[in-house]
Amino acid sequence: MDWKDFLWRIFLVDLIKGLRLTFSYQRPDAIYTEQYPLERPPVAERYRGAPRLNNHPESGETLCIACNLCSIACPENLIVVGWARTEDRKKRLTTFTYDLSRCMFCGLCEDACPVDALELTQDFEIANYSREGMIWDRQALEEGPQPSRYTR
Amino acid sequence: MLQSTVNFIFANPLLLALIQILIIFGVISGIVAYLVYMERKVLAFMQARLGPMRVGPWGLLQPVADGLKLLIKEDIIPAGADKWLFLLAPAISIFAAFTVFAAIPFADYQVRGMNLFYVSDINIGLLFILAVSSLGIYGIILGGWASNSHFPLLGALRSSAQLVSYEVAAGMALVGVLLFSSSLSMVEIVKQQNTMGVWNVFFQPVAFLIYVIAAVAETNRNPFDLPEAESELTAGFHTEYSGFRFALYFMAEYTNMVVVSCIAVTLFLGGWLRPFASYKALDFLKYAPILATLGGGVFVLWLWLKSSVRLDRYFFAFLIACFVVLALLLAIPPVLNAIQGLFWFSVKVLAFLYAFIWYRATFPRYRYDQLMDVGWRFLIPLALTNLVVTAVVIWWKGPHLWPLLVINVICMAVMACLLSLRSSPSGVASER
Repeated sequence: MDWKDFLWRIFLVDLIKGLRLTFSYQRPDAIYTEQYPLERPPVAERYRGAPRLNNHPESGETLCIACNLCSIACPENLIVVGWARTEDRKKRLTTFTYDLSRCMFCGLCEDACPVDALELTQDFEIANYSREGMIWDRQALEEGPQPSRYTR
Repeated sequence: MLQSTVNFIFANPLLLALIQILIIFGVISGIVAYLVYMERKVLAFMQARLGPMRVGPWGLLQPVADGLKLLIKEDIIPAGADKWLFLLAPAISIFAAFTVFAAIPFADYQVRGMNLFYVSDINIGLLFILAVSSLGIYGIILGGWASNSHFPLLGALRSSAQLVSYEVAAGMALVGVLLFSSSLSMVEIVKQQNTMGVWNVFFQPVAFLIYVIAAVAETNRNPFDLPEAESELTAGFHTEYSGFRFALYFMAEYTNMVVVSCIAVTLFLGGWLRPFASYKALDFLKYAPILATLGGGVFVLWLWLKSSVRLDRYFFAFLIACFVVLALLLAIPPVLNAIQGLFWFSVKVLAFLYAFIWYRATFPRYRYDQLMDVGWRFLIPLALTNLVVTAVVIWWKGPHLWPLLVINVICMAVMACLLSLRSSPSGVASER
């Protein structure tokens, strides 16, 4: 051990270095915590969350043409599309169920959709109290998840 | 009416002492509760977290919630426990921790010949403090033993061994200071630092270092928190305790932190004296209390601006108003003079407590053999050297300013020798 090492240890330089580091972390911008219900975390651009059935922005009619391609594309077979024929032999969407409890958010259904009606949004608040609640019907899909807003 | 009451109190010193005791008990309990809050907050900030935020604005009511929870919780006595000792142990701990404050001078301010800011000035003050605070270890040992469980017993064993080892070093470090003051009375020690012009830290930096390390070890705190090492002993000596008794232990631990800080401040950092009290050029420092309250107000204002919750904003506005009123109150000269000593004492103690938390956030826990090694083979020889050298120099030259150089040079040399003798187990030194 040379004399520089001596001084290093006598004046506890290593300890002081450590103390300086922890002290420097007290600045307000170093805080990493998000206070979740008050402030929502930004979600990544390509995040795939709750599914949504899009309506036409002007007429409010569903964009879905009941082609059933999403149901076929789904590896888990969790989409059930119900339709009825109108008088002029056109397919019209009646029901649409989506079992979120089995969904792995692969996004194949939205890729398969020819009219961009089905879409995986960036909503992440899809927890539910029951298994039945995880099966979303057409109304739930069109409205999207509606978490209770936290106020204090 | 008020006048006659005040007269009556001042005519009966015992009544005054009783009121002081009640105030000290209340204030220290409050300080201890908020010390826990401060610890959680500071620790959180140092770890890039936020700490308690949910109970009250910025979690300010967290200590109240914790206290209520602990009071309401079930009080379990294990089946095989020694019931009476189990019940007695936490009481001993808290009793020892609180009794010490009887001899600690918070400030020196007299009204009609009565000291307002301390209960008693015993001529063996320091001895009394050391004796009573050492009693606290009985609480830990008895609690650990009476629990009739292996974790508490092991924790208590570790705790007692650790306390006994480090008490020696701490005691010898304190004797170095006593050689300067030639008095055991806490008030006299501070007054001696006033006449000397400089605090004792500058005469005895090595002793101060030893005392700080030993104090951390004695209060069972990181990096010496082996008696309650979570990963090894679940919770150490208070594993079997719950509810109110656990709260007592917890309070005793944090009160001990305050006690140790008070001793260090009184002996080394000039107690209630402001920095360099004998230099008239620094007299402007007496306005520091006003500035400090205003600074607190500005800080709360910043919080107010940042907060978006309406209830919190009301609370912060209230706090700002309080700070402003306090600052105005302090601007009255007699009040400013009266509060002077108390202010500096609290600032120093607070800095010390902050340092305790800071160490906890920084240093990892020692291994048990390393702990004993540091205690017996490093701190005690160093404290002995410091004591002997101080004694020789004072006998030779008396307590003047230049001998401090001699003392420190010799102590540093001994420290270097001790450090070079010690093998570095981890090889950190050679890697650099």
